[in-house]
Amino acid sequence: MAWNKVAVVGAGLIKMGELFDQSYEDMAAGAFNAAVASVDKGFEPKAVDAAFVATQRGTLWGQEGIGGNTVPTAIGLAGIPCTRIENACPSGSDAFRVGAMAVASGVHDLVLVIGVEKMRDKSTEEGLLSRAASGHPIYTRGETAPVLFAPFATRHMYEFGTTREMLAAVAVKNHHNGALDPYAHFQDEITIEQALAAPAVCSPLHLFDCCPQTDGAAAVLLAPADRAHEFTDRPVFVAGFGVATDHPYLHEKSSFVGLQATVDASQRAYAMAGVGPGDIDLAEVHDCFTITEILDIEDLGFVEKGKGGVASLDGETSLTGRIPVNTSGGLLAKGHPIGATGVAQITECWWQLREDAGERQVALRNGFALQHNVGGRGSGVSVVNILTRNA
Amino acid sequence: MGGHAYVHGVGAATPTWRVATAEIGAAWGRQGRTGSVAVCAPDEDPLTLAAAAATAALGAAGLESGEVDGLWWGCTRPPFAEGPSHAVLASALALNPRAGGALMSGSPHAGMDALLGAADAVAAGSARTALVVVSDGLRPGLGTAFEARTGAGAAALVLRGEDGPASLTVRVTRSQPQLDRYRGDGETDTRDLYDARLFREEMFLPPVIAVAEHLAALEPRAWSLPDPDGRLGRTVARQVGATTVPSADVYAAVGDTAAAAPLLGALPALDAAGPVAIVGTGGGRTTGVLLEVDTPVPGATAAARAIADDGHVASYAALLRARGQLTPSGETIPMGVPPESALFARGAEEMVQLLAGRCADCGTLNTPPSIHPTCIACGGSKLEPVPLARHGVVHTFVVNQTMPAPFVAPLPIAVVDLDDGARVMLQVVGDGTGLEIGSEVDLVLRRYAHERGVPVYGYKSQLSAGGAV
Repeated sequence: MAWNKVAVVGAGLIKMGELFDQSYEDMAAGAFNAAVASVDKGFEPKAVDAAFVATQRGTLWGQEGIGGNTVPTAIGLAGIPCTRIENACPSGSDAFRVGAMAVASGVHDLVLVIGVEKMRDKSTEEGLLSRAASGHPIYTRGETAPVLFAPFATRHMYEFGTTREMLAAVAVKNHHNGALDPYAHFQDEITIEQALAAPAVCSPLHLFDCCPQTDGAAAVLLAPADRAHEFTDRPVFVAGFGVATDHPYLHEKSSFVGLQATVDASQRAYAMAGVGPGDIDLAEVHDCFTITEILDIEDLGFVEKGKGGVASLDGETSLTGRIPVNTSGGLLAKGHPIGATGVAQITECWWQLREDAGERQVALRNGFALQHNVGGRGSGVSVVNILTRNA
Repeated sequence: MGGHAYVHGVGAATPTWRVATAEIGAAWGRQGRTGSVAVCAPDEDPLTLAAAAATAALGAAGLESGEVDGLWWGCTRPPFAEGPSHAVLASALALNPRAGGALMSGSPHAGMDALLGAADAVAAGSARTALVVVSDGLRPGLGTAFEARTGAGAAALVLRGEDGPASLTVRVTRSQPQLDRYRGDGETDTRDLYDARLFREEMFLPPVIAVAEHLAALEPRAWSLPDPDGRLGRTVARQVGATTVPSADVYAAVGDTAAAAPLLGALPALDAAGPVAIVGTGGGRTTGVLLEVDTPVPGATAAARAIADDGHVASYAALLRARGQLTPSGETIPMGVPPESALFARGAEEMVQLLAGRCADCGTLNTPPSIHPTCIACGGSKLEPVPLARHGVVHTFVVNQTMPAPFVAPLPIAVVDLDDGARVMLQVVGDGTGLEIGSEVDLVLRRYAHERGVPVYGYKSQLSAGGAV
């Protein structure tokens, strides 16, 4: 493929949480400033050529529509080319993909990819999917967010003997990692017993099987690889990416033990990067629910189909495990400010690949990190980005 | 009358909830009586009950819905006060769009009106096959005398001009221009108007006994008599010498089902030969008919079982919430697609008839048709609307415990593989008890929402009587 190599030269995020004292604009400015401050050799904000903003839905804080013009003004760059990318839960990772393509094509040089999501300005009852009103008024009636994933847990348990304890192991691990991540929404460890005893949200998923509703923002700065040295001696490169879609209604799925969109997106990304699952040193994957991470690690090829629960219980995905997953705490502990989520995951990969992740740092063998999101109606959109520190 | 109308099959439906009458009385500081009433869960109403009873009656008669020439529906308070009640029920039953009939309403006498209207059409030859459906589920005023008696249910009869197991032979009617129970335009609940003694002596007993005495002369084998307060039925029976009154058992099991009561009370008696007298009253009119049963009517035994079903015990608070008499403060979450949306115009038939688009190329069933111009399996663009199978097996499911109002947890939702190979994902009736992967389910019409005053109907899964495979 004839495309110019793309480097990540800066990345940053704000502390995730219920940011009642910050506006959407405040969060955007905070993330942008963090990304600029992260650039080793300095970065002049006015040098940004174009920006791609990921915000999944403005209606979460009372805005019917958000274009590409809100963020540039908030960060002092009014007038630059800026486009809002919306692609469900992978909005942030898709904005990164589109931003990388803008640089790869040579159209833009220095590109800002920024994800911003305000989830807590409105009450929980009016929050994401609690309206249970996305999609067809009958065929999705009562479909709050957990309903998109809980049926997979029921079936995975039935076919593979996956247990609630295995689901809980995912939550325990991610809360452990989150406790080591100063940017995480939740910074407390939990125990398997706590997770098992928590109230049911949408059986078989209980409270700690579910990610919180989190305000947050994250930003990364992209440059053509041949200009990366202007900004840092330790750049991270875009090795490959893939996006895939699947049918938008759950009843159109042929399988309830995996997400085909994840399989397809990852295979495209692996092919583009010229690597396989065995080459990945760590992965930031979409764990909106514990079962989702179990599906992810199977669909991404890290473990055999059906073995995701056992692998999680056995610690294969812990910081010191065979394939560390969600070192940042994941959506379960770091939080899931939708548009920001993918960009924040990229930021974690950037820290890990630069060995800047402190107590969360994992051992790098091959120098590749994978970032993944899946979501949307019927969990039918997935984006996978693969990053590398290898020049 | 020209020819006779013969009964070829009957069906009954009762709602899923039972509430103890003592609990309702106790809420108002009254000594409760024994027994319970059958009441609608939030997803049931007189239309869903009517659909279930009519489907059972057609099945018992061995008829396809397309053979029905007209639907006569008697219902005191149809679900759309001014709206397409008859058309929605006819569509849900997949009747021919050219089928006629009428919606009789306005008082509990509507059930008898529907029966006579259908019989007249059959006798006159304007309908070869007439479907009579009577259903009700009134909303009584809080604390009224009949609140603890108000039940819900439906009965259906298939009438045909050709010889059948039972025939309608005699009718007698009395009118008197007096109010009884009452609801004015703009009022939401039905209320008492009179002192109980005044009602008994002036409004109820004179016309009912006059009509019943007329029928008593014909020596009926069994009776269905009105019993609005749990005592008046016995008084009438004594006066006219009625000894076999199966309607008393029906009232005891489900309460006063208003327009449905006269026929529902008679159905259990149709399983044996002999004349059955049926008396219905309301709105200042009282009508009696005699059904001459020659041989057991198909569906009568199953109807008796449906009436005797124990149902699910619910609380008075749950009943009040289901009737909309107990509502949460603050706003409830509106439907994302409101009933006035064009989607509900485009999707009207596919939702109440449960249609799929069958791919002409590969046979895949795409659900629902209006959002599938292209086959999800092969990409074919020739799709023909067909009804989905109404039975299947659970592939996977959840029980949602966390939802804002107007949703009420627990709400089970299941992915179901239907017998025709289609896969659907629908809400499941009940609280999820007994729901497993592999459970057999039937798809039944239910009210999915009551949004901005508009009832919205669709199908839900219900565990089959047989349970798991």
